[in-house]
This record gives sequence, structure tokens and C-alpha cells, in this order.
Amino acid sequence: MIEFERFELSNGLKVLFHRDKTTPMAVVNTLYDVGARDEFEEKTGFAHLFEHLMFGGSVNIPDFDGPLQRAGGESNAFTSNDITNYFNHVPAQNIETPLWLESDRMLSLAFTEKSLEVQRQVVIEEFKQRYLNQPYGDVWLNLRPLAYKKHPYKWATIGKDISHIVDATMDDVRSFFKKYYHPNNAILCIAGNFESNYIHDKVSYWYRDIPKKLKPARIISSEPPQNDYRELILERNVPADAFYYAFKMSHRKSFEYYIADLLSDALGREKSSRLYNKLKKELNLVSEISSYITGSLDEGLLIISGKMNNGVNLEKLDKELWQELEAFLGKPMPQIEIDKLNIKIRTAREFQDQGLLNRAMNLCHYELLGDAAAINEDINVYQSITTENMLEVGKAILQKKNCSLLKIIRKNT
Amino acid sequence: MNRSEAPKLKQTEHISIIAPKISSKFPVPFYYMKEVPNATSRLELYFNAGTIHGKIGLASVVSGLLLSGTKDMNSTEIHTKLDNLGAYTDVSIVHESVIITLYGLNDHLTEISSLYINSLSNTDFKQNEIDELLADRKQKLKINFEKVSFLAQREFTKNLFFKSKYGRVIEEQDYDFLTREEIIDFHTAHYLKGLYKVVLVGDFSESKVVKMQDLLSPLCVAKFPSFPNKLMNKAGRFSVPKERALQTAIRIGRIMFTRRHPDYIPFVILNTILGDYFGSRLMSNLREEKGYTYGINSMISEHLNTGYFFIATEVAAEHKESALKEICLELKKLQTELVESNELELVKNYLLGQLLKSADGPYAMTDLFVHLQNYGQDIDYYNQYIHEINEISAEKLLLCAKKYLNWDDLTIVTAG
Repeated sequence: MIEFERFELSNGLKVLFHRDKTTPMAVVNTLYDVGARDEFEEKTGFAHLFEHLMFGGSVNIPDFDGPLQRAGGESNAFTSNDITNYFNHVPAQNIETPLWLESDRMLSLAFTEKSLEVQRQVVIEEFKQRYLNQPYGDVWLNLRPLAYKKHPYKWATIGKDISHIVDATMDDVRSFFKKYYHPNNAILCIAGNFESNYIHDKVSYWYRDIPKKLKPARIISSEPPQNDYRELILERNVPADAFYYAFKMSHRKSFEYYIADLLSDALGREKSSRLYNKLKKELNLVSEISSYITGSLDEGLLIISGKMNNGVNLEKLDKELWQELEAFLGKPMPQIEIDKLNIKIRTAREFQDQGLLNRAMNLCHYELLGDAAAINEDINVYQSITTENMLEVGKAILQKKNCSLLKIIRKNT
Repeated sequence: MNRSEAPKLKQTEHISIIAPKISSKFPVPFYYMKEVPNATSRLELYFNAGTIHGKIGLASVVSGLLLSGTKDMNSTEIHTKLDNLGAYTDVSIVHESVIITLYGLNDHLTEISSLYINSLSNTDFKQNEIDELLADRKQKLKINFEKVSFLAQREFTKNLFFKSKYGRVIEEQDYDFLTREEIIDFHTAHYLKGLYKVVLVGDFSESKVVKMQDLLSPLCVAKFPSFPNKLMNKAGRFSVPKERALQTAIRIGRIMFTRRHPDYIPFVILNTILGDYFGSRLMSNLREEKGYTYGINSMISEHLNTGYFFIATEVAAEHKESALKEICLELKKLQTELVESNELELVKNYLLGQLLKSADGPYAMTDLFVHLQNYGQDIDYYNQYIHEINEISAEKLLLCAKKYLNWDDLTIVTAG
């Protein structure tokens, strides 16, 4: 059970406080309700580029990291298609330092040309390091636009194209900040061994004078139902053929989301899973195979991906995979198998909850979904899933007209 | 309110660590941390089965076959049983050991352990399982050959641990020379009598701990293994070509020492200033000032009797030479200019804060303590650590840099 308190400042900042009496450390986590899905199609990669600029100094403090490191702490952030999340880990006695720093950069950034120029270069190098200069690195740059035709999930967080990063201007930076970076669009979580009054006082002191703004309306093109099987073949300089089956699945707040998550576990999470057994151990077609979900807030993807054994072609796999999926959906899943999946989820959760940072991040995440208290509920949601649920959702998701297949094949050199 | 004024700081002055207990009734070191406030638990087993043993590739292949099946259970049955208990397992291999880690809820960990150990002890190494693993490994190796970071790391390993078993790197055809007999012999020598350290974390009754000890004791080594205490890197510049690479991977480093050495703590501080935190000189210069790279780090790593230091980065291909020049300049600067008090103060505070973080919670405390024990040290070491950090002078750091950061002593590798 993760306990927490919630309060809100008059400028709209939602604050969560989680007390842990055993730790000498503290975490300050800030979630901004903006991600790559909020970008314009002609200016992608911007939410992430902006995340880099948040470390380039704020209106009253020239350097973000230095003072935090001087306080014995450290900081980082990540951007997804849905959110941007900033976190600080600091010895508890210096909790005020991250509050000072975070509140100042929520108030306003420094907006220096130098910071924009350098971070533009850094992000371009990140683009190369992660997506372009790696075998199979550009898979998601191609799979997303295959699976999504309208919804902004069709581009990756890093951006659709390097040129979008190259062309970003200071005006873009300013207007992005104005629209998304303010108390009414943020959730703050403090975790550590503090008295509740103290946190109320300190948060209020540092954040209350940040002006209130309207929460930006989110206008996102929804993805039309798929109803057609899609396939894309790319030739690349890679040693092994690879496959990525992407099936549309439900959004984060639905019960079906949990079922799809469990389905992906059943198919290909572990070495005891269905596809691993059939396609690797029994038929020896693939060197690796796994299944997972993208975990996005809007309609997401259930992925089955892997690499082929030398000398086996993708058509053979395709045939066997669909046969196995059909067999899987032809019979109700034994309860013992559902129990197996659930105990893995429960164990993983217990371990994740060990970390103070994890707890703080998850509280913000659940608050964004509607209620931080759900952090203690979703294990029960998984436990409530029945054999019938699995079959029903499995049949809805795992069908050809709901599937986009990306094949990466070896270039003949 | 004056927003340009930083809140007052309080430095970390001490850390409180609860040390795990050391069991006296076990043939090899057995550490047990009982103070866990929740249902999680972990068993870590150290086997004398690292990559320095046997033919090239052999140790790694055997470590991949530990759950490949016994006379009575095939690998799928073993994994299904483990998953039914909610187990997460991990096998990691380094030069000097194989570390098997079992995670589970404490209700299940004894059963998980007994299933795992039973499978590991009775593995019968079926030829089809061996063939499957070898094919997978070959494919992984081919994929890795497409990565500049892998190519650089490989060339670096060869020259950092020059002319020693630590410096061996595998070629694809090496996998063709491993036989089932060799695999079985390695398993017998390095696992069935290879356990040399156990670390248990979790709230267990006395009888459960004894049960686990009974399960493990047949696997213990007769004599605690010994490892070399002298390695030498081959200094100089090495480059690995990779056509059409957008980035060049760089690895630069040298052989150092363990924490038993009197210069260890000064070198930790020096390394932090150079490249071991976000505000480090290398990050500030190559990333935040020039935008050559997404990231650059320097690190210290320890074996049981030796250690090494290295810098790692991937830079834009067109900036390779400028990046090397800047790295060299940063090392020279540490050798010729005293670190300013402002920067030194920051790094001291940062290191103390990180120490506090690295001792947060029963798992972290156990890891910290067990690592110290490798070098015959006790918790008291951290009092000395805090003291030395507080006392360190810029002059001492300069001497340390002069001694250990000469460009000509370093192994410098680029791939791209």
C-alpha cells in the first residue's frame, strides 16, 4: 500500500506527497502533461528537444544542474509520446534546492540562443546514436507510420525527421513553454521523510506566485478503425531478418488495456510463454521472439517481434505464427496460466515499489490518469481478469485486419 | 522572496548502514540481510565460472545453458515452474565470476531456489540445446559487429588487458570449436564445485535460511579462488574501421587498482570531476559546450585484485579528431591546473549525496557492504571515505592526475 496526500495550489498545481520514514533521500518529481502527441506534424521531436532546453538555465538561475549537484543530488528527465517527466533525487535535508530549481524553471526559462544551438546538436547526436547508427535502429521510425495513419503516435518521440530538429526556432521554444509549462498543466510529487505541514509550506512558498494559465485543450486526431492488413518490407544492412507485428489495442484507462497486457505476457514475455515455446523451442524458426505492449495513454499497440534463424524465411514464420494465434484463441486459457501471469506481475510490482523514485513517478502517472489512488488498485484489476476476458479481447485484437507487419530483411551484399 | 539566491545547504555527514550478517556455519562467505520491510527477497550466487576460465567462449556458453534441461524436465518445464512461483532470474557473467540472481516473494524463494539449484546441478546438456544456443550466440555476435560501440569496446578490451585472459575476445568461428564434453567438464569443475559466495536478502525464518544453506553447501568450492594481481594495458592509438558509420565510438583508459590502494579515493574524486557526473568536465565540454555527443562518461571499475579506468563516448563521425583533442586537453588541464575550490566543493557534496543514495534501503546497503568485503574492508571504510573526501586538497588531486592521467600511458581506441 502506497500512501499519499494530495493538495492543490490556487494556480492549479496538483501536489502529491508520499511519506517514507525509512529513507534518508528525497525525490521531487514533476510531470508535465505534454508529449510528442501534442506536436504539429511539421514540427515533430519538439517536446523532447524542449526537455533538453529545460536544463539550460531558468529565469533567475543560470544553471540547473550545478546547484542540485552541490546539494548532493542529481536530476534527469524523459519524454514519451504522452508525457514529459522530470525527476530529482537529493539528500532529504536539501529538499528545498530542487523545489527552488523546479519552481523557477516552471516560472520561466532563460531562453538563451546558445542553449538552443547546443541542445539541437546534442539531440541530433542522440537521434544518430539511438535510431540511425544501430542495426534495426529505425524500426520504430517506420512501424509507427505504418500502424497509425491519423493519430500523432505515427511519429516517434525523437521526431519524424532530423530536419525538424534542425529547423526549430526560438519562437517555437517560447510558444511551447507558454502553452504547456505552467502549474495548471503539471503534477508534482514529493517523496521522503517529512512532516506534511513542512511540505505544504515549502511547496506553497516556492510555487504559489507562478501565474495560473489555462490548461491547453488537447485536440488530437483520433485513429480510425484499421480494418485492413498492412505490410511493409525494408531492406537493411543487418545480419538477420526481423519481424514486427503490431496490433491495435485499447487505451490506458480501459479494462481491455489490462487484458491486452496480460495477453502479451501470455504470448511472449518469458521463456514459458506460448510463442517462445512453439516458434523457438518446438519449431526452431526464430532466434528470439517476444510480445509486449507500448503502454501508451491513447489507443496503443500490442507487438510481437523477433528475429529469424539463419536460413528460415519470414513466410514460414508468418504461417506458423497465425496458426499458433488461432490455436491460442480456439481454447480458453487455463486458470493456472492466468495465475502464473499474475504472480509475475505482482512480484515485479513489489520490487518496483522498493524504489522511492518509482513510487513518486507512478503516483504522478496515476494522478494524470485520473486518481493517484489507483496506484494501489491496478493489481486487483489484473487479478480480476477471467479466461473469458482473455478470449474475448484476444479475438478482437489478434486478427489480420487489425495488424500491421514490418519486415526487415537482409540486403544481399 | 529572492529567487536568485539558493536555499541553504546541509552537507551529508554520515551514513547509517545496517550490515548483513555473516553466517559462520557455511563453507564459503554467506551474507544474510533480514531487515526487509516488505515481501521481496533475493538470492545471489557467485560461481567461480567467469570468462577467464577455459577456452574462449566456453564459460559464457555454459552460463547460457544452466536451465537447458535435465533428465526429468526440459527447459520449458523448468521455466514454467519458475514462472508459476513468480520468479525472476538473471545470469550475468564477468571476467572473474558468474552471478546468478533469483528474485521472488519471500513465501516462494526457498522453492524457487531449490528448483533452480536442482536444474542447474542436473543439467544434461542435450546436443540440440547446445546447437540452438550456439546459433543464437553467433547471430547476436553478428548483430553486435554492426555497432561501433561494440567494435570499440572489443578492441579496447584486447589492449586494456593486453596478453592476458581478461583481454580475450570471441570470433564467430570460436563457437564451432566448443564440444559437449568441454561444456560438461566446465560445468562440473566450475559449478558443481564452484560456488564461492552467497548473498541472501529477505525476511526469512531461521529454519528457512538453514534449508537454503543445506541446499547450497554441496556446490561450494573447496578453496577460495585466487585471481591475478597484475595486468598491463598496451598504450597507444588503435582504430577499427566501420564503413558508413554516422558516429565514431571512443574508448580510452588504462589499468588501475582496487580500493585497497591508498590513491583510490583521490582517484575517485578526480574521476568524478573528469567525467562521472552530469556536470563533469567532459560532459560540459564535449556535450554542453560543443554538442559533439549525446553523452560522455568516465568510470572506475574493480576486479578482485586489479582495476581499470576508462572514458566512453559516441561522437559525430566528423568530430572524431576534435573530440580526442578535447579529451586530451581535459586530462592535461587536470595535470597542470589546480581544481578551483568552487568546483571541488560541488564535487565533494555530490559524492557524499551519492553515497547516501547508494545506501538507501536493504538491497543497496547489502550490495555496498558485500562489495567492501571483497577488499577486506568493513563499514568503517565509509567513515574514512567521508573523511578523505572532506579533507582532499586540489594539490593532491593534481599530483594524482600527474601520476595516472598521462595521455601516453593510455589505450586509445576509435571505431567508426
